[in-house]
Amino acid sequence: MILLQSPSRFLLQTLSNRVQNLEKGVELDCNSVEFDDVRYHIQVSMRYPQFVLLSMSLPTPPPETVFIGGLPYGAIDAIKAAYGVLVQILDPPRDGFNLTMKFNLSKLPPDEEQRQAILVKIASVREVVLGAPIRLILKHLASRTVAPNVDRLVALVHRPMESFFLVPQAEKVTVVLPMRFKDSIDTVLATSFLQEFVAARRTTGLNNAPPCSWSPSPPLELKGAPAQALSVNAGFVTFVIFPRHVEGKKLDRTVWSLSTFRAYVSYHVKCSEGFMHTRMRRRVESLILALDRAKPDVEKSRKAANSRSFKRLSLKGNPG
Amino acid sequence: MDAAASRPAVVIDNGTGYTKMGFAGNVEPCFILPTVVAVNESFANQSRNSVKGSNWQAQHSAGVMADLDFFIGDEAIARSRSSTTYNLSYPIRHGQVEDWDAMERFWQQCIFNYLRCDPEDHYFLFTESPLTAPESREYTGEIMFETFNVPGLYIAVQPVLALAAGYTTSKCEMTGVVVDVGDGATHVVPVADGYVIGSSIKSIPIAGKDVTLFIQQLMRERGEHVPPEDSFEIARKVKEMYCYTCSDIVKEYNKHDREPSKYIKQWRGTKPKTGAPYSCDIGYERFLGPEIFFNPEIYNSDFSTPLPAIIDKCIQSSPIDTRRALYKNIVLSGGSTMFKDFNRRLQRDLKKIVDARVIASDARLGGELKSQPVEVNVVSHPIQRFAVWFGGSVLASTPEFYAACHTKAEYEEYGASICRTNPVFKGMC
Amino acid sequence: MANTLRSYLACIRNTLEAAMCLQNFPCQEVERHNKPEVELKTSSELLLNPVLICRNEAEKCLIETSINSLRISIKVKQADELENILTKKFLRFLSMRAEAFQVLRRKPVQGYDISFLITNYHCEDMQKHKLIDFIVQFMEDIDKEISELKMSVNTRGRLVATEFLKQFV
Repeated sequence: MILLQSPSRFLLQTLSNRVQNLEKGVELDCNSVEFDDVRYHIQVSMRYPQFVLLSMSLPTPPPETVFIGGLPYGAIDAIKAAYGVLVQILDPPRDGFNLTMKFNLSKLPPDEEQRQAILVKIASVREVVLGAPIRLILKHLASRTVAPNVDRLVALVHRPMESFFLVPQAEKVTVVLPMRFKDSIDTVLATSFLQEFVAARRTTGLNNAPPCSWSPSPPLELKGAPAQALSVNAGFVTFVIFPRHVEGKKLDRTVWSLSTFRAYVSYHVKCSEGFMHTRMRRRVESLILALDRAKPDVEKSRKAANSRSFKRLSLKGNPG
Repeated sequence: MDAAASRPAVVIDNGTGYTKMGFAGNVEPCFILPTVVAVNESFANQSRNSVKGSNWQAQHSAGVMADLDFFIGDEAIARSRSSTTYNLSYPIRHGQVEDWDAMERFWQQCIFNYLRCDPEDHYFLFTESPLTAPESREYTGEIMFETFNVPGLYIAVQPVLALAAGYTTSKCEMTGVVVDVGDGATHVVPVADGYVIGSSIKSIPIAGKDVTLFIQQLMRERGEHVPPEDSFEIARKVKEMYCYTCSDIVKEYNKHDREPSKYIKQWRGTKPKTGAPYSCDIGYERFLGPEIFFNPEIYNSDFSTPLPAIIDKCIQSSPIDTRRALYKNIVLSGGSTMFKDFNRRLQRDLKKIVDARVIASDARLGGELKSQPVEVNVVSHPIQRFAVWFGGSVLASTPEFYAACHTKAEYEEYGASICRTNPVFKGMC
Repeated sequence: MANTLRSYLACIRNTLEAAMCLQNFPCQEVERHNKPEVELKTSSELLLNPVLICRNEAEKCLIETSINSLRISIKVKQADELENILTKKFLRFLSMRAEAFQVLRRKPVQGYDISFLITNYHCEDMQKHKLIDFIVQFMEDIDKEISELKMSVNTRGRLVATEFLKQFV
C-alpha cells in the first residue's frame, strides 16, 4: 500500500457484513479509532437490524479553526448531499461524539454495484465530514470564483489542536501545511522526505502537478496566523492548487490527499524505519558470519547457536 | 497519564494461523486475518546480490518500490494465486516468530492499512505463546518502540488471557488449565493465580493444521476430484464448516453408512485455472478430522497420547494443592476447539481417567478412607475462537493496564531488556 | 577519497596485528580472578600506549592495549543530521545483539560510536588474523550500510513524493 485509501476498512467490512445478512438481528457495539484521533462508534440493535447508528468524533480544533455546532463548516450539507434519503442526523449526538448518523440500510439501492458504491461512500465518511470545508473552497476554484464570505486565510483542523491553512483565490488555492512530529528520528526523516517532494515536482513527468515548496520558516501566506500554529519542527509544505487539479473526479482525491497529507508522510516514515530494520538484520547476519569464520570449529559452534531452548521442549516427531 | 491513555489500547493476538486485532473494550476483534505475507519476489532476489552489481542504485530504488509492494492476510493469498511475482511467507511457525522481516511488515499493514490507527496514539497489547524465548519479546519491543514509536507496550501470555476471557462472563477465576489448540501449536498450560506453571506446560505435535492435512489426505486417498492446488484450502474450509466431534468412531461409521444422505455433504467449487465447476463428497473426514486429538495414532504413528491423557498428565505434574482447582476449570481456547461437542468429549474422556484413578486409590486403601470425588469441568463459551483476544481486550480496558505497560521512556532508559518481564497486574484477578 | 580509506584501514590492520599479542594474565589484586586490564587500568605497567588513528576530524579509531586485552573504539563519520541518526540507529541495533558478537562491547567508550573488547581468550578461540579481518570488514560495512541507508531514505522519499504528486496529474 503506497497511498492511503479514503474508505475505512473497518466501516466497510462492518457495513458489508450487515448488508449481507440484513434480516438477521445482531447486537453490535464497536469502537474504532483512526489516525489523527478520528473515532467511530458503530451500533446495531437486535430489534432494528436495518438501522446502523454511526457516531463520529473529530480531532479537537485549535482556536483558529471554527466548528459550527461541533462540526466543520458545511459538513451537514455535505452529509445530506452524499447519502440523501439513507441518512438521518440525530441531535444531540451520542455522548462524547461530534456527530451521530442513523443509516437505514433497507433503503439501499437494489443494484449490487450501486449498493457497493454507496457503502464505500459511507465508509468514506471521514472525507465527507472533515473534508467538507476544503471541498467547498476547491469547488469554487473549479469554477474560478472565490466563495463568498471567506477569510483571506482559512484554517482547517487536521490533527488534534493542529490545523493547516488555505489561501483561496479565484485562479489558485494555496495550501500550507505546518508539519510536526513527536519523535526526533521521525522529524529528521520526514524533513528529508519533504525536501524530496520539492525535488520530485521538478521532474518532467510531474510538470502538471501542483507546485510544491518546503521551508523551515513560515511562508508569507501565513502572515496573521496565530503564533502557536507556527511553531513546527519539520517545516512548512506549500502546495498551489490550480483549477486543473480539481476538475471532475479529481476533486475527491485532491480533498482526501491534502487533508491527510501529514498521515501520509508519517506512514512512510514508519515504513522506511521498518525497511531499515530489514536491512540491518541482514547486515548483522553477514557480520556474524564474518566473525564465525574466525573460529576454527565453525561447524560445532553453529550447531550450538541453533538449538533454541523451546525446540528442546517440544516433542519428537513433528508431523509432515 | 498522557493522551494516549485516554484512547483505547490496540490489542493484537498473532496466532500461527490467524491474527486477531482490534481495540480494547470491544467484544469482537475488528479484523481476523490469516497470518501470512505475500512478498514481491523481485525484491528478495535483488537484495541477495545487492552487494555486487554495478547498477545498484537502480536496483535499489526497485528494491524500495518492491518493499512497499506486499500484501497480508486474505489479500496475500489471493495475490499469490493470481500472479507469480508474489511469494507467500508465514512469519509465525508453531507459535514462534521465525521471520522477523515478514512479521514487522505484517504489523505495519495491520496498523496502517487495517486498523488505520496512528501507533503513536495508542498503547499496545501483544500476545505470545508461553514457550516464547525472552529474546523474542525483546525483538518485539525493539520493533514496536523503534519503528512504530508506540507509547506503551505489554506482552501478555496467551493462556492467561484465555482465562481472563471468562472474567466477565462468569466469576473471576485466574486458576485453571488452558487447552489452547491453535493452527500451528497445541499447548496445555496450567495457570495458578495468573502465573503460568512453566514446568508443567505440555505441548503436543497435533494442531489445527494437522486436522486440515489429515482431511486433505483422506479426501485425496478416496480420489475426490479436487484441483490439487486448491486441495489444502478446501480441506481447511471443510474443517471449518462441516467437522464435528463424535462420541465413538465405530458408531459414527455405522451412522454414516446407514444414512449417507443425511451425513455426507457436498462441496461445490470452480477450478481456479479453467473456471470449470466441480463437486466432491465430504464423508467420514467430518468426524475423523477432530478425532486425531483423541486417537492421534490414526494420523501420526510416532505420537499416540490422546489430548485428555496429556491434560491429566499436565495437572498431575502441577503442585498438589492446585490440582483440584485445575480440574475444575479447564478452559478451551483457539479456533481448533470450535468443533461441535469437543468440550463434551474432552470432559467425558478426562473424567474417565480421573475416576479410574480415584477408584484405584480407593481400592489400594482398602475402603478405610474414601477420597472426595474430583470435579472435572471443561468450560466452553461462544467467544472461544478468539478467547485470547477477548481476554486481552478486557484486560487492556482496565486502568491497571496502563500502569503495567512498559513505556517508551522506560525503553529508552533501560533498553529492550525491559520487555523480558511483563508483570501480572491486578486487573487479572 | 577511496585511497585515504584504504590507507586508513591498512593502518588500523597493521596496528591491530602488532597490538594483538595478548597473554593470560591473572588479576593482581583479587586471587583467582582474571580481568581485562585495559578496562580496569589498575597498574600502568600492564598498559601500553594507546594509538589514535585518524582519517580526518570526524573519523577516527582508538586502539588501547594491555597485557591481556585490547580495546578498539571507532568513531564513524556523520556528515549531517540524517547520517547521525542512521548511525545511532544502526549501532544501537548492533549493541542490542552484542551477545552474538562476542567481541562487541555493549557500551562504546566515551566520545566514540562503537567499541570492541578483545581478550586473550578470544584470541585463543579464534584465529587472530581472521579476527582482524572481521574488525576491518566491520568498519567497511558500517560505512557502506550508513551510506546505503541514507540512499534508501532519499530514494524512498522521492518515490513517495512522486506517487503523491501523480494523483493530481
